[in-house]
Amino acid sequence: MREITYAESVREAMSQVMRADEDVFILGEDIGIYGGAFGVTNGMLDEFGPERVRTTPISEAAITGCAIGAAMTGMRPILELQFSDFITIATDQIVNQAAKLRYMYGGKASVPVVIRTPAGSGAGLAAQHSQSLEAWMAHIPGLKVIQPSTPSDAKGLLKAAIEDNNPVMFYEHKLLYGMKGDVAEDSYTIPIGVADVKKEGTDLTVVATSIMVHKTLEAAEELGKENIHIEVIDPRTLVPLDEETIIKSVLKTRRALVVTEAVKRGGYGAEIASMIGESEAFDFLDAPVSRLGGVDTPMPYNPTLEKMAVPQVGDIVQKVREMLNRA
Amino acid sequence: MTGKKTKGSQDITPEKKVEMLEQMIVIRHFEQKVEQMFMQGKIHGTMHLCTGQEATAVGAIGALEAKDKITSTHRGHGHCIAKGSDIGRMLAELLAKETGYCKGKGGSMHIADLDLGNLGANGIVAGGHPLATGAALTSKMKKLGYVVICFFGDGASNEGSFHESLNLAAVWDLPVIFFCENNEYAMSGPIKEMINIEHISQRASSYGMPGVTINGSDVLEVYEATKEAAERARSGQGPTLIEAKTYRFKGHSRADARKYRTREEEKEWITKKDPIALFKKSLIDEGVLSEEKAQAIEDQVQSFVEKAQGFAENSPEPSPESLQEDVYA
Amino acid sequence: MAVEILMPKMGATMESGTIIRWFAEEGEAVEAGQMLLEIQTDKVNIEIEAEAGGILLKKVYVHDDEVPVQEVIGYIGKEGEEIPAGKTAESNQTISSGTSEGSPVMPDLTKEQIDIDERSIRRTPAARHEAQKQHVSLRDVFGSGPEGRIHLQDVQDYVLQQQSSVPRVTPLANKIAQDHAIALDEVSGSGVQGKVKKQDVQDYMQKGSRIDAIPSLDQLISSTESVEEVKVEGMRKIIGERMVQSVQSAPHVTLVSEVDMSEIIRLRKALLPIIEQRTVYRLSYTEIILKSVAMSLREHPDVNASLQDNVIRRYTDVHVGLAVAVENGLYVPVVRHADRKGLCELTTICKTLAQAAREGKLTNEQISGGTFTISNLGMYAVDAFTPIINQPESAILGLGRITEKPVGIEGNVVLRPIMSLSLSFDHRVMDGVPAAAFLTALKQKLEQPFQLLI
Repeated sequence: MREITYAESVREAMSQVMRADEDVFILGEDIGIYGGAFGVTNGMLDEFGPERVRTTPISEAAITGCAIGAAMTGMRPILELQFSDFITIATDQIVNQAAKLRYMYGGKASVPVVIRTPAGSGAGLAAQHSQSLEAWMAHIPGLKVIQPSTPSDAKGLLKAAIEDNNPVMFYEHKLLYGMKGDVAEDSYTIPIGVADVKKEGTDLTVVATSIMVHKTLEAAEELGKENIHIEVIDPRTLVPLDEETIIKSVLKTRRALVVTEAVKRGGYGAEIASMIGESEAFDFLDAPVSRLGGVDTPMPYNPTLEKMAVPQVGDIVQKVREMLNRA
Repeated sequence: MTGKKTKGSQDITPEKKVEMLEQMIVIRHFEQKVEQMFMQGKIHGTMHLCTGQEATAVGAIGALEAKDKITSTHRGHGHCIAKGSDIGRMLAELLAKETGYCKGKGGSMHIADLDLGNLGANGIVAGGHPLATGAALTSKMKKLGYVVICFFGDGASNEGSFHESLNLAAVWDLPVIFFCENNEYAMSGPIKEMINIEHISQRASSYGMPGVTINGSDVLEVYEATKEAAERARSGQGPTLIEAKTYRFKGHSRADARKYRTREEEKEWITKKDPIALFKKSLIDEGVLSEEKAQAIEDQVQSFVEKAQGFAENSPEPSPESLQEDVYA
Repeated sequence: MAVEILMPKMGATMESGTIIRWFAEEGEAVEAGQMLLEIQTDKVNIEIEAEAGGILLKKVYVHDDEVPVQEVIGYIGKEGEEIPAGKTAESNQTISSGTSEGSPVMPDLTKEQIDIDERSIRRTPAARHEAQKQHVSLRDVFGSGPEGRIHLQDVQDYVLQQQSSVPRVTPLANKIAQDHAIALDEVSGSGVQGKVKKQDVQDYMQKGSRIDAIPSLDQLISSTESVEEVKVEGMRKIIGERMVQSVQSAPHVTLVSEVDMSEIIRLRKALLPIIEQRTVYRLSYTEIILKSVAMSLREHPDVNASLQDNVIRRYTDVHVGLAVAVENGLYVPVVRHADRKGLCELTTICKTLAQAAREGKLTNEQISGGTFTISNLGMYAVDAFTPIINQPESAILGLGRITEKPVGIEGNVVLRPIMSLSLSFDHRVMDGVPAAAFLTALKQKLEQPFQLLI
């Protein structure tokens, strides 16, 4: 196996599928000669041409709806939404159209569209380009929501998303694009809805999403020195959520912490936490199920403040200690 | 008809004309039945009747080929009927029955029949524009040769997705016809107070596509304008914006006291610009239709609609298990 | 046939409409599509067109009438046509569901009690789970978490500590206790870490050999050291009201009889290890007396009766309630079909119910349906008392302590363990004779427990 970056891995997944399936194409703002705002589609124009690597006007509502209309009529579009913050403009098309059409048309339509979009803070882009809004989409029946945290997961999950017959929201993380990892060269899929135990442990389960998986793994290293062994679970898919893997882990460790970058209030972390509270794991909990999430503020530009606004390794270490009465 | 260049109403066969009139009458009777059943409490929720707008649906869709597609609106019963939908299944949908087009889970605003190329009615104003654009993109990329009509009302022309979609369709030369049924009121809002231009069709020029305003009460004029736009689209010359001036004889939805317009204005349209009365008269004048034949059609349609009602009323309710069916493919 | 004009349903939320005005008079000709009347809905005023042409035959409702949707508001038809008989409005009166029968014993206090009981202890679900499994009271466990929250580890530590501190009794004390059939866990130890010594057992015996009764009654005695004002509410209030009602409505007569408990003590001693081995619970006098009472009740249904609404009901099923004291009150959990159960089963049931009562976990079912009640004050220096009937039952048995008393037997005065039975009965339900007969039968069973085999 070789090491490639997360961005390369996303590109490789798309390219491999596009080589095999004529119906798959990508559209989005500046994805052609420019290669996309984060360079994810670099070079794809050369290989696939402007028909299949379609640069669009800056028109999120129309291009999103257009992708949905194309999906309804036999294509399998991948839409790159330049920043996940711009989903506000495309929301009607995603929420009221893509998610609903199949159900309200009595099961006749299917909408095999993937909306790839970078989320998250840490790049100094301030309030309108740094949000983690995945909970909005996870709330909508009819959508699937994926948040891969590693290059290898990104590749396998993206292929699964493209092959899925439902609208899939695929949240990438800006800071992960440059992260390297082992990725198999073949085209492969990772099934949607299967969580991954990133690290086994006995004392406490941390369910972390996206970049928080890596911060939690770092925290685990530090806690290991104190003889605290946490288990780190990456749901990878928010909808559908692999509840079983999470509950099984909590039954073992009796303590659960959910870590997300998104603002804590009303975030998907709350969904995971309450799912645990409602499960058979409840009777075996030995501490309140807790959450770490973003601070209740728009993302600040100042780098120090920006770091303070989302959970960091130290916050996770401290929270775990508290939950184990070892603070 | 394919392959033959049709220009003007003179090229439409008498049979086709009678067929179009018949379709218009079906729409009128269907809407009357819907209204009656709604008042009887048999239909719940809401409904938006297109009574008075029969010519736009029948004229525009009449100009299409079978493989062509449409997107419709909340006021979409006419489009469905003109595209060939089964009125029994439509009524069953309004009665929320399992045999309805959406298995009773969509209702009046969401009737779709993908097999017939009806990509569905849409409850979101201007919700269909991007979808129609996307369907046209499929036609272009897969070289399927179909065109898409996107029906919408005057109110939708002020939505962002209208403008975004017109631009996108124009820059990509997509085979789509944006068909505005300007019935003068966006719910209660008079269109004159909602836009600061004379015609909605003027907006086409901003996006580099042709725009025309036509008489929406004249089914043959609608037919011709659409035919021309369809040919443009099919030959790769991109989209057209058609604005058909029409009028809804009834309120926005049933609970509408219509305080925003006068009874005199309504009477003017109903007595002078009823598309069915006008078309019938012209066909009789032309000698294509006799009074007797016209009455026979009315009677036939009446029993056709009664039969549909029987089918709908005798259909089963959806099963409780169906609640969560079809959320995901 | 005349066409009905219906109050139209204009929307999902519309339930009725008000007629503002009719545009036509009765007898007037109307055309289809003509404006017929104007109505007001919750949203709008709206004009209604005539669906059919003809004569407006009848206005069923006039202006200002509020009419439910789909109700006929008028008829259109041919001149002189008959109008169908008017629809009768369907009565919307809901049939009230049968009032629930008054529960014979303490009503739904459980919930309230729970809140002030063990559940108010801060503990994690895992700790509670473990405590239940290990039969550990969370009151005894030290919580190491924030604000004293008890975690799983705390319970586990406690259990370990308990196990390591066994034995908690000196060999001599143990022997004395065994000889006297004294449950060691009821003896408070004065040694290190509560170790029970000889003196402790002797002190315990001196306090009067006690009926191994339903525990926790000592909590009933409140402090009298200073004046404390306690508002009468909750369970206290309900008990008070019920007692007043019982005393005021039922003429109480209390019969007292003394019983020689020698045989019962022997019986208990013999059965104790057997039952303990089978059930892990220790047989008390309570269960043996309960069994005897139940069997006597079966023979004397006059006493196993209730009075409600001027009807006396005599029961063939015997469900005996046991008064269990808890903080600030008492519960009466019911042992169903007590006459048909063996001592193993009764022991298990009584211990479980008593435990549930103390934990405030009794279900409504467990505290209802009794036909007779036993109230035991034998662990105190009480010889006899006048128990108050737990209505709608009609009799209650009070148990006093067992003390050695001189008794004349065959011309000799000997010391025998004597316990008094106090039977209160409702004179409206029965007279003295049947009550006395029951008490006599019970006394015989307790003095000759082999009768229980019959």
